[in-house]
Amino acid sequence: MSGILVQGLAKRFGERVAVEGLTFDVRPGEVFGLLGPNGAGKTTTVRMLTGLLRPSEGEASVWGHSVRTQGEQLRRSVGLLTEQPGLYDRLTARENLRFFMKLHELDEAVAWPRARAYLERFGLADRENEPCGSFSKGMRQKLAIVRTLVHDPKVIFLDEPTSGLDPESARTVRDAVAELASDGRTIVLCSHNLAEVERLCSRVAIVQGRLLAMAPLGELRRAGQALDIRIEGDAGRFLPALAALPFAPNVLGEGGRIKVMLTDDAQAPDVLSCLVNAGARVHSAVPSHRPLEEVYLELIRQGRV
Amino acid sequence: MAFRTRRALAVFWKDFLDLRKNVGLLLSMTVLPLVFILVPIGVVWTYAQRPNDPNLRVLAQYYDRSLPLGANAARFLIDRTLTDWFGMFLVMPVFVPILISSQSVAGEKERRTLEPLLASPVTAAELVAGKSLASLVPAVSISWLAFALFCVGVDVVAWPLVKEPLMPNMLWSFGIFFLAPLFAFFGNGVAVLISARVSEARTAQQLSALVVLPLVGLVGGQVAGWLTAGVGYYAVQGAVVLLLDAVLLVASIRLLDRERLISRWG
Repeated sequence: MSGILVQGLAKRFGERVAVEGLTFDVRPGEVFGLLGPNGAGKTTTVRMLTGLLRPSEGEASVWGHSVRTQGEQLRRSVGLLTEQPGLYDRLTARENLRFFMKLHELDEAVAWPRARAYLERFGLADRENEPCGSFSKGMRQKLAIVRTLVHDPKVIFLDEPTSGLDPESARTVRDAVAELASDGRTIVLCSHNLAEVERLCSRVAIVQGRLLAMAPLGELRRAGQALDIRIEGDAGRFLPALAALPFAPNVLGEGGRIKVMLTDDAQAPDVLSCLVNAGARVHSAVPSHRPLEEVYLELIRQGRV
Repeated sequence: MAFRTRRALAVFWKDFLDLRKNVGLLLSMTVLPLVFILVPIGVVWTYAQRPNDPNLRVLAQYYDRSLPLGANAARFLIDRTLTDWFGMFLVMPVFVPILISSQSVAGEKERRTLEPLLASPVTAAELVAGKSLASLVPAVSISWLAFALFCVGVDVVAWPLVKEPLMPNMLWSFGIFFLAPLFAFFGNGVAVLISARVSEARTAQQLSALVVLPLVGLVGGQVAGWLTAGVGYYAVQGAVVLLLDAVLLVASIRLLDRERLISRWG
């Protein structure tokens, strides 16, 4: 059984198309990255998959429940961490969690040990009887994560889970996400923090109103290699020659290092001969994977054209 | 989707807890009942203190030209005040739920708590039921408590003149126990409906509060002598409000639809 199956999903608000033609699947045990610029339709997609919005077209099922016809069962199976923690400030952490336990009709004798384990893990155990209004941004975010997990959801949607967290807390959250995935949960991660996506996700989809790309992370990064070149002298002298190549690669140069983005492995010899012809003394040339950020930005640029 | 009482009660529990911790709201909920208790008690006290003031007879005859010469004008005016003031008292069960429900529905939008709430299995009907209960219980309780204090106050200040308990009488008992809950439901329904369409609790409160104006207008008509209040008069008001309550309930459930709320405010 697939954790999430999406087929031709679209959402329109009046004349405005938020997303269209989305097709993808996320397997149990997988952390799937949903990337895209602001307003690309990520939140709309997540809202359709959590039963908050009805799709205008297409079909999707989450943990076997149709988003069109089985909203209540679907919402029992999913946990949603929204961009804003959305806590009740006058209520204590304990009361906030208890409310969601009640909404999910949980047996509190079972749910509390699970909640406490998370509270302890995130360093909130000794603050559970304090009103959330007194919490720092990071504490609120961590409590919102506990609330997302309190009913032991099978499918978890996380929107910027480490936003506002210090590096130690962010690491704790990342570890928890990895554990949940290894425990068979399906996790969708929406984030602008691409380094985090690289650490956690096995596959990513890049959307901008439509699906621009979807692939395992490694494959996406290999889609275009980069060539790290070390030369003698200042790289800046050779950048105009490289930019004048017929395939006009993106080039970064600093000191004695040049990084050339390639769209095809076969371009590497042309780059090197260009540098040699321009008088560069090349010490080394090492192919490397492109950082996700570069792949992402290039796809977004292409998507806009 | 089946209605689950447990989930509706969870919403009630959370909203009631939140209300108990909202000192500002509790204070504003206390002021109105105090005014509604103290003003009529003060009026009754004034009449009871000067039963032989000839101006009272003039005032009483304004309301009833056929008032017998031997009749006690002060007593007549006290009875009249108590009957007319009931219309004003009904503003309280309308107004208190407006204060609470505006906070609880539009407040969810303001605090960005709406999306996590709607992502839970709770249905629109359960949400309306829980939130309505959380505003109706305090509103009706406050009305009943205010009524009890009002009865004691009126009887104490009127005793020197009438030498018998005036309150609770049939009109007030009928009104407080049957009409007040209906009026509270009305205030709540209006506030839920308006809260679902605006983004701020304050705007919801201000707009919802306009519904008390017709009630105040009716009391104005009574005081001006154009309308004569009594059990039948208030029973007609109750029947109209009951009808409006049914319409508001259906409309609230439809307006608290996830899609509508999230696409507008999420």
